[in-house]
Amino acid sequence: MTEAITTHDHPPAGIMRWLTATNHKDLGILYMSFGGLMFFIGGAFIMAVRAELLLPGLQLLSPGMYNQLFTLHALIMVFGAIMPFATGLNNYLIPLMIGAPDMALPRVNNWGFWILPFAAVLLLIPFFLQFFGIGSGASAAGWVMHNTSLDLQSGIGMDFAIFTIHLLGLSSLTGAINVVVTVLNMRAPGMTLMKMPLFVWAWLITAFMLILVIPVFSAAATMLLTDRHFGTHFFDAANGGDPILLQHLIWFFGHPEVYIVLLPAWGLIPHILATFSRKPVYGYRAQVYALWAICFLSFLVWSHHMLTSGLPLAAEVYFMYATMAISIPTSVLVFCWLGAIWRGAMTFETPMLFALGFVAHFGMGALTGMILPDVAVNAQYHNSYVIVSHFHYTFFGGGIFGMMAALYYWLPKFTGRMFDEKLGRLHFWLTVIFFNMTFIPQWFAGLDGMPRHIADYALRFSAMNFISSLGAFLLGLSQLLLVYIVVKCVRNGPKATGQVWEGAQGLEFTLPSPPPYHTFETPPLVK
Amino acid sequence: MMNEPEVTNEHEKRERRMVQWVVALVLFVAVIYAVTFIKLPVWLPALK
Ligand code: HEM
Ligand SMILES: [Cu+2]
Repeated sequence: MTEAITTHDHPPAGIMRWLTATNHKDLGILYMSFGGLMFFIGGAFIMAVRAELLLPGLQLLSPGMYNQLFTLHALIMVFGAIMPFATGLNNYLIPLMIGAPDMALPRVNNWGFWILPFAAVLLLIPFFLQFFGIGSGASAAGWVMHNTSLDLQSGIGMDFAIFTIHLLGLSSLTGAINVVVTVLNMRAPGMTLMKMPLFVWAWLITAFMLILVIPVFSAAATMLLTDRHFGTHFFDAANGGDPILLQHLIWFFGHPEVYIVLLPAWGLIPHILATFSRKPVYGYRAQVYALWAICFLSFLVWSHHMLTSGLPLAAEVYFMYATMAISIPTSVLVFCWLGAIWRGAMTFETPMLFALGFVAHFGMGALTGMILPDVAVNAQYHNSYVIVSHFHYTFFGGGIFGMMAALYYWLPKFTGRMFDEKLGRLHFWLTVIFFNMTFIPQWFAGLDGMPRHIADYALRFSAMNFISSLGAFLLGLSQLLLVYIVVKCVRNGPKATGQVWEGAQGLEFTLPSPPPYHTFETPPLVK
Repeated sequence: MMNEPEVTNEHEKRERRMVQWVVALVLFVAVIYAVTFIKLPVWLPALK
């Protein structure tokens, strides 16, 4: 009966295991390791930026170099760190959570991963070439190429970025199709859709979002390429094109993209809150519907990034209210998270700390996000440091805290070993303190009128920037602790049980830690 | 032994369903890509 799906029980040895990996656990580990590595590279780039901003005046970087660095920082963090890490989690966990032997398309899965290192190299090549006098450096047009005049006029860095976007898009699309096909076809008997763990739901919805918006972004990149080299004038105002069209295309992708980054975290947080409160997941149905509602609404609000671009008044008012409407399903989620811990028998192990930190910091990001789409105030806050502060509360406070919570929660499952709990807690508190030290001052500098995307600033912003830069250096340093914790855990952490955490629920915790190379070859029966 | 054919049938059905999904999703991607490229430059400016 199992003949058709029986494969070798042991992976090939050495490097070939990873190059030819089709096993979902191996690919999960690869994706997560790649995400972790990129987190530090993206972090290193921004350390240089914060060093420049430590004091007023230009000390270290030219403005052009500065722009390249924050652009690379952002592209690497979003597309290189968070998204691959979340994809690694889905690879490792979805088959375990739904009782499937593997992902549906294992070879495509291998391809989806191995595109990533090439994409990363492609993005960085022009950055390094400039030091040998070749070209004018990497793209400097922002994380979704939203500086339209640079898009059209800058040098080879933009062409490299365009091809990077195509490669990353291919990787995301294959990954997304794999998730949809796996979740819809590979569930164990009895695992109905409405019994699926929320993490699986969140990833299914994320996958649909990717499938809808990645082609738009890729097409926009292609149009940009033909504008730059093949004589078309989609975006070129001097020849009757429309630069605002590029803004629309980019943000039609860009806004759903922020939910693509956040949904996997929203899906996994309820698991962790439930475990450490020793209660079942609270408001399961409400959360599933809220995730769908956010997915749907996220396609209808893109122009809140363009409120100062001269839209008709009716459009501005529409985008303002549509954006604010997203806070309704988002509040449902926050309510359910609080419901999950309400009167629970809580304990505060590291994953729980990061999960609670996630709720608090993402909450700040969401609240500040309620202010920004107001058409009247947006005119003041747009392109100011208020925005930088806001979206780091969502991306770092939400995305990164979520990924950290997941890492600490499932690390013993992945490795079969416990990490050093004391150090984990220390890592959490250092991250919280320095994260806020970095990004609270940026909020006030922004309110006071400091624009973003500048390498130098007026003297009155000095104090805030000094504090923010110190915070950033310490935040960066304290992340090295995470490396130490993970290495120490893998090397000689004490053995973990299959259950790992006292209150943990879900199919993955019915398996030993680490789970054997092949799992659920005969599907479990789900009641 | 008895339900051997039934099992492979299930397996085949699942395989076919998977292929259909993949083809449908890839086509969907192609359509969105094409519409963005060909139609949106016409439609979006008309909104103003
Ligand atoms: C050590 C942690 C981090 C620090 C100190 C930091 C700092 C900064 C600063 C100062 C900027 C603005 C540069 C400027 O506008 O002149 C920036 C931009 C940005 N960062 Fe971060 N960041 C950190 C982590 C992250 C993470 C984890 C993400 C996402 C997952 C992220 C995503 C972005 C994005 C999308 C931009 C916008 C770039 C643009 O305007 O196009 N950052 N970061
Ligand atoms: Cu948005």
